[in-house]
Formats: sequence, structure tokens, C-alpha cells
Amino acid sequence: MIDDHPMIIEGYKNTLLGENQKEYQIKIDIASNCDDAYAYIIKSSETVPYDMLFVDIKLPPSSDGSITSGEDLAKHAKELLPKSKVIILTMHREDHRIHNILKNINPAGFLIKSDLTSSELLLAFNNILKGKAYYSATVNDHFRKMMTNKFSLDEKNLKILYHLSRGVKTKNLPNYVSLSLSAIEKRKNQIKEMFSIAKADDQMLLEEARKRGFI
Amino acid sequence: MCRIFFKIIAFFSFLAIIGCDYSNQNIESNELKFNLIQSHINEANDKQNSINERKDNIEKAYGICSTLNDSAFQIEKIHEISFAYYALKDYESYKKMNEKALKLSNKINDSLYIARSYAYLGIYYRSSKLDVAYNNFYEAEKIFAKLGITRGRKKIAYDRGKVLIDLALILRKAKDYSNSEATTIKAIESFELAEIDQYMPMCYTNLGNLAKLTERFDESVEYQLKAIEYTKGTNREISQTLISYNNIGTVYKSQQKYDKAKEYYHKALSYTDFLRKRPKRHARLIDNLGYVNFLSKDTANIPELFYKALKMRDSVNDKFGIVTNTLHLAEYYQSIGKDSIAKMYAKKSSDLSLELQNNIELLSAYQLLSTVSDSEEGLQYANKYIVLNDSLIKEERLFRDKFARIRFETDEIVEENQQISKENQILIIAILGLTALFLLGYIIFRQQQSNKELLFSQTQQESNEEIYRLLLNQQVKLEEGRHMEQQRMSEELHDGVLGRLFGVRLSLDGINQRANDGFTEARNKYIDELKAIEKEIRLISHDLGAETLPSDVAYIDAVENLIKDLCEVHKIAFEFNNDEDIDWESIDDQKKVNFFRILQESMQNIFKHAHADHIKINFDYVEDTINLTILDDGIGFIASKVKKGIGLKNITSRVNQMKGEVQFVSSEGSGTTVLVHVPIETKVKEVYS
Repeated sequence: MIDDHPMIIEGYKNTLLGENQKEYQIKIDIASNCDDAYAYIIKSSETVPYDMLFVDIKLPPSSDGSITSGEDLAKHAKELLPKSKVIILTMHREDHRIHNILKNINPAGFLIKSDLTSSELLLAFNNILKGKAYYSATVNDHFRKMMTNKFSLDEKNLKILYHLSRGVKTKNLPNYVSLSLSAIEKRKNQIKEMFSIAKADDQMLLEEARKRGFI
Repeated sequence: MCRIFFKIIAFFSFLAIIGCDYSNQNIESNELKFNLIQSHINEANDKQNSINERKDNIEKAYGICSTLNDSAFQIEKIHEISFAYYALKDYESYKKMNEKALKLSNKINDSLYIARSYAYLGIYYRSSKLDVAYNNFYEAEKIFAKLGITRGRKKIAYDRGKVLIDLALILRKAKDYSNSEATTIKAIESFELAEIDQYMPMCYTNLGNLAKLTERFDESVEYQLKAIEYTKGTNREISQTLISYNNIGTVYKSQQKYDKAKEYYHKALSYTDFLRKRPKRHARLIDNLGYVNFLSKDTANIPELFYKALKMRDSVNDKFGIVTNTLHLAEYYQSIGKDSIAKMYAKKSSDLSLELQNNIELLSAYQLLSTVSDSEEGLQYANKYIVLNDSLIKEERLFRDKFARIRFETDEIVEENQQISKENQILIIAILGLTALFLLGYIIFRQQQSNKELLFSQTQQESNEEIYRLLLNQQVKLEEGRHMEQQRMSEELHDGVLGRLFGVRLSLDGINQRANDGFTEARNKYIDELKAIEKEIRLISHDLGAETLPSDVAYIDAVENLIKDLCEVHKIAFEFNNDEDIDWESIDDQKKVNFFRILQESMQNIFKHAHADHIKINFDYVEDTINLTILDDGIGFIASKVKKGIGLKNITSRVNQMKGEVQFVSSEGSGTTVLVHVPIETKVKEVYS
């Protein structure tokens, strides 16, 4: 279990070690930062590999700076502990982040903290133990959106839409998305074409994106 | 006689008129006087009248003349009267008149009349006192030279020429030939300028004589012939021809070309009609011819020619002629060995020469006498000759010295004048130079001043922009700080508070699942509530984290702060609207500063003068133009009555700087509206399509 909030760890423990989970013998290692987590992963890979890894996305980065988030940590874990099930638990529910995490890690479980209740956590736990993936409703929603759209927007395009929706001006976008202004303009036009609103302004673009569930 | 009688009557009646009503008839009486004087002078010059009559007329003319009150006219008439005296050979009166004229001229300080008077006095002295004559002529010449510069050379050329030829003649007499020639040439130039030929023959004759004296004989003949040319076609032709031929004869005589000399004398003598009336000249020609014959040893008509001449001269008492004549006879008799007769004539000549003070002939007579007399007497005459010769040479030298001195003194004065004028010139140049320098200095000073002003306004502008930039920077920093703080709060909420809340909720939920006390449902409700709170916090965090404040809000914030601050201080309500279409970020700082200052200025005006309770300020954007409206509900003003204060001028100049327009709309009691329209260059809009 990797999370920088002891309170949350406490919550997980309280849920998983509850009375109705007596059939399992659960041993939990706790890490509150990337360094500790990485050390545990190394250690377990040499001894007894973990069955399950609960990884928060936002974590204090490792002291050498090579691991900056739960996402990086999950990648390492998948290499070192290929049989371990990785469960991502995160406060972020933005589409592009979900999209990114799914694409990069393809976790066995993907839970959005704000959706999460203890019963859902247990459900996910049980499902994953049985070899079934479990995703939060929000993540499933994201999947649904991706499926219903004939096309998909890549992470960059989603980011652009996301920041635009927050009121960031197009010319300030390069500060948020690592693209040049002209590239951003090009992408915006592509999105508009995809939405078949080629000559619309930003306002209409955002409305359409909302309608289609990209934001 | 009759005419004169009438004139006298006219004169007396005229006097009576003067006596009766002098003041009223002043002009008329003056005219009458002029006429009277003129008629008297005319009478005096009429050679048909007797000498006494003529003198009488002159005196009368002078009598009337002295009553005249127009000095210039009086002088002119006195000169004319003096000529009349001269014509009558009353030289003393002539001199007296001209002395009077000189006095009067000096009194009224009339240079022309002064010069003329000097010249006429010179004429009086020229036959008796060469040095005095020279002095007078020279004085006249000086004045004429000056007048030539001030009044134009042509005007006085004739008068000046006359003076110059007189000077030349005097100089010749003093044997100062080179100066005489130079002066004669000057005289010729003057006469040429005046275009009057009357004295040209005299000038050329003088030149001819000078040439002869300096042994340039060919030139001399040429000059003499030229003298005749000037008289061709005039009534003086014969007279001049005779003079010139006589002179040419003398020239050839001096060259010992006796045949040529004789030829010219014969030519001259052929004017028999003319000579019959002029025995003096006739006698001179005959005498000269005889003398040439004698010198050329052609003694056929000698001494008959001499006697013929002497007889003629005796008959008209031509003493100068007799002197020469007797001398020639003496020479002749000496040559044929008749010393006693020669001595007799020589004595006669010398006595007469003494009487006439004709020193040159006297010298020749003494020389002759010294050879024809016996040894003792001869020695005496020889001594006399030497003494006279010495004294003559001395006198000539004295004259020349005197003339030189006169000239030198004048030169000194001229030099002094030149010095003074030079000094004046230097002074003028210095003054001009100083003035120019001063002007230059002034111009440079002004230039610098205006440069300074320019520099000042430039620095002011720069400082204005600097102030604005600082203001903006401050605002931006403030925004940044606020934004960072919001970001921090957002993160704190999201990662810290929200995480912990989630942990608590999850724990509670977990525990709740295990608890079996019948309150599970109730607790679940609160757990859900916690979840809702989480969501709310997350939303708040999201909002805080978003970039809600674009950076260009800063300018409008600064503007609004300004308005707010000022209005708070002056306790006036305000309303401020900014059109969101204005992209302040793309507008250059200069314009922003100007808008800022215009607002400041306008608001100062409102606070100071308008007594307003409420002001409304709008930034609108219409067709690439920013319209700033500043409206108040104060007392307003009548545009025509208000002098444009520095405030309004500043606003106008700022608007002009932005190539915009400004309107001040106001009337008494209805508030004031300031409208500023400033065009904004159309920026390429962000590409959406």
C-alpha cells in the first residue's frame, strides 16, 4: 500500500481487514513515499512478491528524482513484479489523466478516490483477487465515452480541451501543454473538424466537447 | 538812362510796399527783389553802359542783395555781383564780395558755396600772390573732393575742374611741372565728367606748355593741336588757333627748328582780320617771328619786324610785350656789335620788368646788360643777375615747399579722417561682430533651451511609462502572489484535506460495515454526506487552481484601483465599465499610460471644479476604436467661457499623440462629458478557423 496520507492507509486497512475478510490472510507493507515504496518492491521481488499493490498517483518523488509519481512506480512494479496486480487509487478524475494511466499502466484496478466507498473497495479487492479487473464508475464512464465516440482524442488533444475549458487562453496553452502555439492551433482545428464544426469559435468547441463528454 | 530811372522808381515803390505790409508780402517782395537784383546785374554786365553806370548798378544790386533773408540765394547773387566787379576790373571789390560770400557760406555751412568762394578768392590772388591763391584753390578742391563723394561727382565736376586747372597753372608757374601735369589731367577728367568743353583748350595748352618745358616737344605740339580741336566750330576757334600756333612756334623755336616755327607764325599771322582788332596778339606774333628770323640768321626783315611790333605795343601800352620786344632788340643790336643801342634797349626792358615784377625777363635783361656794359658796370649787372637768379630759385623752392606743406597738411587731415573712418569702420565691424555673436549665442541658447525642453518632455514620457510599468508590475506581482496562494490552497485542499477526509470516510465506512448495532444505515447517511463534502472541496480546489485571472486584467485593475482610490478620497460615487472585447494586452504601453493620465486629469478636473456627486467611466470598443467616456453630474461649464487650462490642454495633446479625437461636451448645470476616441491598429485576430 503506497500513499502519503496515513489517514488513507488507515482507511484502506480498516476496510480490508474488516470482519468479513476473514477468509484471507492479509499482510500489508506500507510506504508513504516513492523511495520507501521502491525499496519494498525491490525487496519483495527478491523474496516474496506482492499479490497486490495499492498505488496512489500523487506521491512525494524519490530522492534521486527518477520516480516522480505513482505512475512511474507502477511501471517499475510491473517490470519487477510481473505477477502482481496493480491497483491505482487516485484523487484525479480528469479524462486525460485517466486515459493516460490506462494507456501507460493498464492496471488491474483503477479506483477514483472520490467515488470510493469501503464496499466498493472490498468489491474491487475481491474481483481482482479472482483475476477480474475492476474499474471505478468514473473510469468505466471514460471507457464508455471512448467507445461511443467513433474516434478518440489523444492525451494532448484532451489536455488542450481541458485547459481551454478552465479558461486558459489559446496563446497561453504552450505553458500547459508541451506543444508550440502553432501546433496547438493545428490540433484545435483538427478537433473542430472531427466534431464537424470546422468554423466554430472556442466557445462552440467547448460546448461540443462537453456534449461529447471529452471534458 | 530811362530804363534805370524806371528801375529806381520800381525799387523805391517796392521799398514802400515792404514798409507798408512787409509780413504779408514777404514772398512776393522776395520775388520782386530777385528780379530787381537780376536786372541790375544784367545792366552792370552790359558793356554798352558806361563804367560808372555799371558800377552804380552793381552797388544797387548789392544794396538789395544785403536785405535778402535767403542766405543761399544771397550768396549766389553776391558771387554774380563779384563777377560783375571782375568784369569791370575792380578786383578789390571782387575780393571783398567773395570774402563776404565766404563768411556767409561758412555761417550757413554750405560746402558748395564755401568751395566756390575759395575758388573765386583764388582767382583774385592768382596773379599777385601765388601761395595765397594756391591755398584758396586747394581749400576749394578739398571741399569739392568731399562733395564729390557725398553729392555725386558729376554735379560739382565743372566747378572742380576750374579749380584744378587754376591749381595746375599755379604749379606750372612754381615750376612744379610733374604736379602741374597730374593736376591738369585731373582737371581734364573733371571736365569730361561734366561734359563741358569750355576749359579743355586751356587744359591742353597747359599740358603742351608743360611738355615743352620738360622738352617733350612732339607731345607738346600734339597737345597744342588738340587744344584747337576742342574749339572747332565754336567762336573761340580762331583765338585758340592763334594761341596754339604761337605756342607751337615757340616749341619749334626751342627745338631750333626755325623753319617750322616760322611756318606756324606765318600761318597765325594769316588771320589778318582777326588780328587787326587785337594788336597785342598781332604784335606778339610779329615779335616772335622776328626773333625766330633773328635766331635763324634770316635778317632780311630785321629789325623792321621788331620795330613794327614795338610800335603796336607802344600804341596799346602793352608793357609785358614791350619788355620782351626791347629785349629782342637789345639782343639783335648786340649781335651786330652795336652795344650802346643794345644797352639802351636792355636798360629799357629791365626798368620795365622791374616795374612789372617780370623777373624772368629781368633776368635776361640783366644777363644782356652784363655783357654789353663796360667791365665795372657789367660786373654790377652780373652780380644783380646772380642775386636775382638765386632769389628766383629760392622763391620757386619756397613756393614748392609751401604748396607741399599745404598738401601735406591736407593729407594729414585726410589721413586723420581716414584714420577716424578706419577706426569707425573697426568700431562698426566690432559692433556688428558683437551683435552677430550675441545673436548666435542667443540662437544657440534658444536651441539648447528647446532641446532641453524636448529632452525634458522625453524623460517625462519615459518616466510616465516607467511609472506605469511599475504600477503594472506591482499589479502583476500582486496577481501572481494571489494566484500562487490560490494554487497552494488548491493543492493543500486537494492533496491534504481531501486525502485525509477520504481516509477518514473510508475508515468510517470500513468500520461501519463491520458494526452490527442497527445504526449502520444512519452512519452510512453521514458517510455519504462526507463524500458530498469531499466533492465540494474538490470543486473548490479545482476552481482555485484554475487560471481565473488573465494577466491583462492587471491594467484594468490598475485603472479601477485608481478610480476607486480617487473617488474614495473625494467621496464621490463611481461606476466603471470595461468592454471585455478590448484586448488590453495587445495595446502598447504608451496608449495605456495616456488613457491612465487622461483619466487622472479628467478626474482631477471633476474633483476641483465640477462639484459632482457621481461619475461614470466607460471603456467601449467599437470598430477598432477605443471610446473612453467620462461623465459627471456636476455643474458643468460653458466651453466658450473657460480658458483652456493646462489640464484640458494636456488631455488634448495626449489624445493627439494617439491620433485620436477628444470632445468636451458640457453646458451650465448639466454636467460634463469627456469623450475620447482612439483608433487601435487592427491586430490579426486569433485564428479559429
